[in-house]
Amino acid sequence: MDIKVLGTGCANCRTTIALIEQVAQAKGVAVNLQKVEELRAIMSYGVMSTPGVVIDGKVVHAGGVPGRDKIEQWLIAKQA
Amino acid sequence: MLNEAKEVCPTTTLRMSREGALLVDVRERDEIDSLAFDVPDLLVMPMSEFEQRCAELPRDRDLVMVCRVGERSLKATYYLMYQGYTRVANMEGGIAKWARKGFPVEGNASAAIASAETGCCGGAAPAKNNGGESPSAAGENCCAPQPKRAGGCC
Repeated sequence: MDIKVLGTGCANCRTTIALIEQVAQAKGVAVNLQKVEELRAIMSYGVMSTPGVVIDGKVVHAGGVPGRDKIEQWLIAKQA
Repeated sequence: MLNEAKEVCPTTTLRMSREGALLVDVRERDEIDSLAFDVPDLLVMPMSEFEQRCAELPRDRDLVMVCRVGERSLKATYYLMYQGYTRVANMEGGIAKWARKGFPVEGNASAAIASAETGCCGGAAPAKNNGGESPSAAGENCCAPQPKRAGGCC
């Protein structure tokens, strides 16, 4: 599963990455997690509010740190 | 991946404005109350409203996005490009650079210049100006539209 976290490096972006790593590990889901920090690349997804989360090319979240429940749903949905 | 955004300097922006381009100021309203661009055609569309309102922007007219130092307006420029706008450019340097060059503003220009110096972009002390709006001859030479330069917050 390819997960990209979009954001220019603020605290919320770092928190989002850490949270996704934690949940993936807890659930035993293998993820390929990447940070996208360059503005042009971020805006290529049309995300104005960061952090944004892109899973397998699709924007699933934009603005604020996603909740743990939401992250679990993403990972479980992809596992199914 | 989007193309690199076009960037224009304040001198080119002033010329474009006189030739019919629409300046779109994405600063919040309290910022604009302190210091505003004084140009013939200006639209205020704060970043907090931008996603909801950007469809109001014409696609058949040159747009120049502006803000305090050119960062938010660059983001707005890319967003419009993502939405398919082709006649859009970012004004680099923002109203801080515009005011430093003595271009037309309403309000307290010195505050904007001072706050830009203490922001992420730092920079030298502003050149003294005696007001007036004529672009410098030297400025005209630097001002062809160009892709965004990589690196730096400005």
